[in-house]
Amino acid sequence: MAEIPIKQLAEAEIPTEKSRSLWYYSWKRLRRNRLAMAGFYVTILIILIAIFAGVLAPQDPNLQILEYTTKPSGFKGNVILRTNDIPNQDPVPIPIQSFLVSNGEITMITDDGSTRKLPVSKLAGSSESQWHKEPHFYLGTDRYGRDILSRLVFGARVSLTVAFFSELLSIVIGVLFGALAGFYRGWVDESVSWLTNVFWSIPPILLVISISIALGLGFVQTVFAIGITGWPDMARIVRGQFFSLRETEYVEATRALGLGNMRTIFRHILPNAIGPIIVIATAGFATAIIYEASLSFLGLGVQPPTSTWGQMIYDGYGYIAAGSNWGLTIYPALAIMLAVFAFNLFGDGLRDAFDPKLNR
Amino acid sequence: MLAFTIRKLFYSILIIFGVMSVIFFVMNLLPDPARMMQGQRADISTQAAIRHELGLDLPVWQRYVNFLGKTASGDFGRSYTSNRPVLDSILERLPATAVLTLSAMLVATILGIGIGILSAVKSYSILDNISMVFALIGISVPSFVFGLLVIILFGSLLQIFPISGFVIQDDAKWYEFWAYHWEYLALPMFTLALRPISIIARVTRSSMLDVLSSDYIRTAKSKGLSQKVVIFRHALRNALNPVVTTIGSWLAALLTGAFFIEYIFNWPGVGALAFDAIPRSDFPTIQGTVMFSAVVFVIINYIVDILYAKLDPKVKLN
Repeated sequence: MAEIPIKQLAEAEIPTEKSRSLWYYSWKRLRRNRLAMAGFYVTILIILIAIFAGVLAPQDPNLQILEYTTKPSGFKGNVILRTNDIPNQDPVPIPIQSFLVSNGEITMITDDGSTRKLPVSKLAGSSESQWHKEPHFYLGTDRYGRDILSRLVFGARVSLTVAFFSELLSIVIGVLFGALAGFYRGWVDESVSWLTNVFWSIPPILLVISISIALGLGFVQTVFAIGITGWPDMARIVRGQFFSLRETEYVEATRALGLGNMRTIFRHILPNAIGPIIVIATAGFATAIIYEASLSFLGLGVQPPTSTWGQMIYDGYGYIAAGSNWGLTIYPALAIMLAVFAFNLFGDGLRDAFDPKLNR
Repeated sequence: MLAFTIRKLFYSILIIFGVMSVIFFVMNLLPDPARMMQGQRADISTQAAIRHELGLDLPVWQRYVNFLGKTASGDFGRSYTSNRPVLDSILERLPATAVLTLSAMLVATILGIGIGILSAVKSYSILDNISMVFALIGISVPSFVFGLLVIILFGSLLQIFPISGFVIQDDAKWYEFWAYHWEYLALPMFTLALRPISIIARVTRSSMLDVLSSDYIRTAKSKGLSQKVVIFRHALRNALNPVVTTIGSWLAALLTGAFFIEYIFNWPGVGALAFDAIPRSDFPTIQGTVMFSAVVFVIINYIVDILYAKLDPKVKLN
């Protein structure tokens, strides 16, 4: 009997079904979950809106046209832009009813019915399309005459960047503490568990508020306040993962190979705990959006004139008792709800996808 | 059991010590309180006097020790704006917060368990899917957003309930809130209950599903027992264990988490006290409410742990 070459034998043994990674199966399970996919697509959409806010926003979010305060949805403006007397400043909008250009001079009937003249040289730009605008306020304007839709679009950017960086901070702290506690156990674990419980005992929103008051207001401070508050959940999950993964054979093998603890922790155990970490991070991201909105609702957080959803809600809040201009509250409220809901749907789906035991 | 109780108590005190330390170091980052109290034009000698009075001229470690000692003896400092002891203000507001929280928790428990059982029994039906999507919405909506939507809908559009304006009498008894002020209580209570309803419903559902697929339920069914008996006699009792834990921890979370609701609905509780202090830079009041909330949280969790260990023999005492 002729000897079969080893190479041929090995090839013959390849199973017909290709073995695939955890990612492949998780993604396949996720794809089947329609709600989770809906959440995923909305999440992607919101991220795209945040990235391309500058292109998508119909108006400058901070341009105030004081004649156009609290206009209803779908309001169409009519403005002439003149150059600002202060150099290097944005042009000044003059709301008008109609205008006429003759002899190097523009005659305007302004919004309140009075007539106003201006030399053409004072107009911002040379052609009519540059100095005459008819802005369409799809969702109306706020009390400073700013476009609500544009502010919502730019608000997504603030919301997501704050949530992203603060969650990043939470992940770093949580993974580090959780990994050390789960790997070394003993007094390290005891101390980390104690610290986790301490942070858990302080109502998170109050901790976020206290830290941001103490640090002062602004973007970095807000990120820090939310990030410092959010890590305990991550630490708990990572600790649990390390507790069980530490006992596996491949970890024992790294010890037999004489690898250092740090290398074992970060190169060998951590990659295997990545599923639960992603799940918790998604949930944490949604929570971070809520905290950011809460902070800016209270006038803390990222400061004006940067538009944030929470602040827009606060601005609208004053109108509710008066019984008008609900849009000022409802549109940003819907934006927050949609963003958090989408993230939670996606996160729930991820949790099911990474955990085959829960397979429906 | 006694050893367990004492060990838990010791651990709770350790946690409170940690909470106080965290709060001290966070508040230590604040800008100079003497400046805050006196404004921009304060003269240097007055500021120095205030600093001395507050003990701010001492080294950090000594202030830390003083802070721990004072807080442990119940001295949370005085408000910058009203100059009253912070703890007095908090205790005065506590009944309103307690009434709001307990009512909300009662509603949440009944509705949450009910929805959870229904969802589990009719699992993967339309009813189940709808209630679980609503539960996820309930978890996703920040309380202040939901509060505002409730105000717009019931207060402004339908005008069924008053949206604010509740004034607490100094000698108000607890039961009077329910008896005479329920129309003020309705909206904030409902808003506050939304999140725990959602979470309790989700926990009840998954725990119920677990139990319903177990062997002894199959046995009970095969004995020919009616579905009602199987669900309420056999399944529910075992399914409720994780639910009880959830309710316990949510009671603590709500008692300390009603802040936004109180603020939005002008409910005269501890939360409104804290939030009103923010724009006034009244740091002792903010610090005091944070500390108070955390201590209450730890105490309630301690009680829940002990009760749970007593009720469920499966809980290991170490």
